Amino acid sequence: MAKIEIKGLIKKFGKLEVLKGIDLQVEEGEVVCLIGPSGSGKSTLLRCINCLEQPTEGSVTVDGDVLTDKKIDINIARENIGMVFQQFNLFPHLTVMQNIILAPVDRKIMSKNQAIKIGMGLLERVGLADKKDQYPSQLSGGQQQRVAIARALCMGPDVMLFDEPTSALDPEMVGEVLDVMRELAEDGMTMVIVTHEMGFAREVADRVLFLDGGYILEQGTPEQIFGNPQNERTKSFLEKVL
Amino acid sequence: MTFYELFQQTMPMLLKGAVITLKLTIVVLPLAVLLGLISCLLGMTKHFKFISNIYIAIIRGTPIIVQVFFIYFGLTQFFRFRMTAYTAGVISLSMNAGAYLSEIFRGGIQAVNIGQTEAARSLGMSYSSTMRKVILPQAFRIVIPSVVNQFIITLKDTSIISVIGLMDIVMQAKQIIARTYKSFIVWLLVGCVYFVICYTLSKISQYIERRLSVGKNRN
Repeated sequence: MAKIEIKGLIKKFGKLEVLKGIDLQVEEGEVVCLIGPSGSGKSTLLRCINCLEQPTEGSVTVDGDVLTDKKIDINIARENIGMVFQQFNLFPHLTVMQNIILAPVDRKIMSKNQAIKIGMGLLERVGLADKKDQYPSQLSGGQQQRVAIARALCMGPDVMLFDEPTSALDPEMVGEVLDVMRELAEDGMTMVIVTHEMGFAREVADRVLFLDGGYILEQGTPEQIFGNPQNERTKSFLEKVL
Repeated sequence: MTFYELFQQTMPMLLKGAVITLKLTIVVLPLAVLLGLISCLLGMTKHFKFISNIYIAIIRGTPIIVQVFFIYFGLTQFFRFRMTAYTAGVISLSMNAGAYLSEIFRGGIQAVNIGQTEAARSLGMSYSSTMRKVILPQAFRIVIPSVVNQFIITLKDTSIISVIGLMDIVMQAKQIIARTYKSFIVWLLVGCVYFVICYTLSKISQYIERRLSVGKNRN
């Protein structure tokens, strides 16, 4: 069974229809990159996967949990879906370590001591163990984003969603964040990534989806999409960004 | 009568009034914060929002002196009961400051970036946990200057209570002037007493603000 299964997803904001019927399956361990012009619905699609945006119609199933079912405890379902934001969204009043352990302890997934131990391991993994007692404002953008990834991972999610994780970063900090994501992909994490980093998508993605106007217009392996795009709009988009 | 003699005679009375003013303020402020919080929380619900809206509209739409008279003279006459001037003062000042604090709290909560809520909710935290552990601690820091400002306004608003006969600084001053006719000096001294209290309060708040600015997002 697919790790993420989206059927007939429609999302409207008032009268504006942003997603016009999306069907998507993501297998376990698969890395899917969403590309497309701004306003195409990439971020909205991503945010529908953990129901930060409530889908107007259609169903979203992640790891067997039907998130669009009203009876489901959305908080428990979200424990399993990590998300990383463009603006990092670290909690500015908490230290790095407090940021990481807040949710796992609040959700009673682990004790505080356990969380600190796991958090320490994750910080080492993203190369920021020495920053654990600093506040987010004392870190660079790249460091903040790596902390945000560690924070999401501390919940032990099966799926990770990335919403333009490098778009707010200075160019020289993009690499360090992509390195962490690359490692995560190699470890077999199921990932859905909205990105403008075409080079990264080409290298890491198992599948690339091109969205425009609320539809998935084209999808395939990075070789197919970047090497030999079929759809006219995909072609013109790639010409502009590559 | 020299200035020094007048000062000597006047200050003890004014300070006695200042004690009443401070006592009233100290009772009113926690009550106002409580009312403000309740109103703010009601304002965030779907079904009870109207209570908060009506409350704030009434308080904002009428002068405080009318509120004081209405509670002290109006309500007591209509419902045929007695109330001390002190009680009426506490009720009217708390309700008045509560409405303004409610708006300040709401503004503080709204000023916290929506991304904070999204991050916490995406980690599986419930709405109430998100509020308590992520939003309110940040909103708290944001509202401190405005809350202190409201505290100072309320402290000064206690001077209104002299109209219903409470012996606060203003009432003491009026009586001294009735005896001595020294308007200029007495009102100047009254101003000084208020100034010292309010200035001290704002300095304390600046100190608290500085202490709390640790880890503040400077992006």
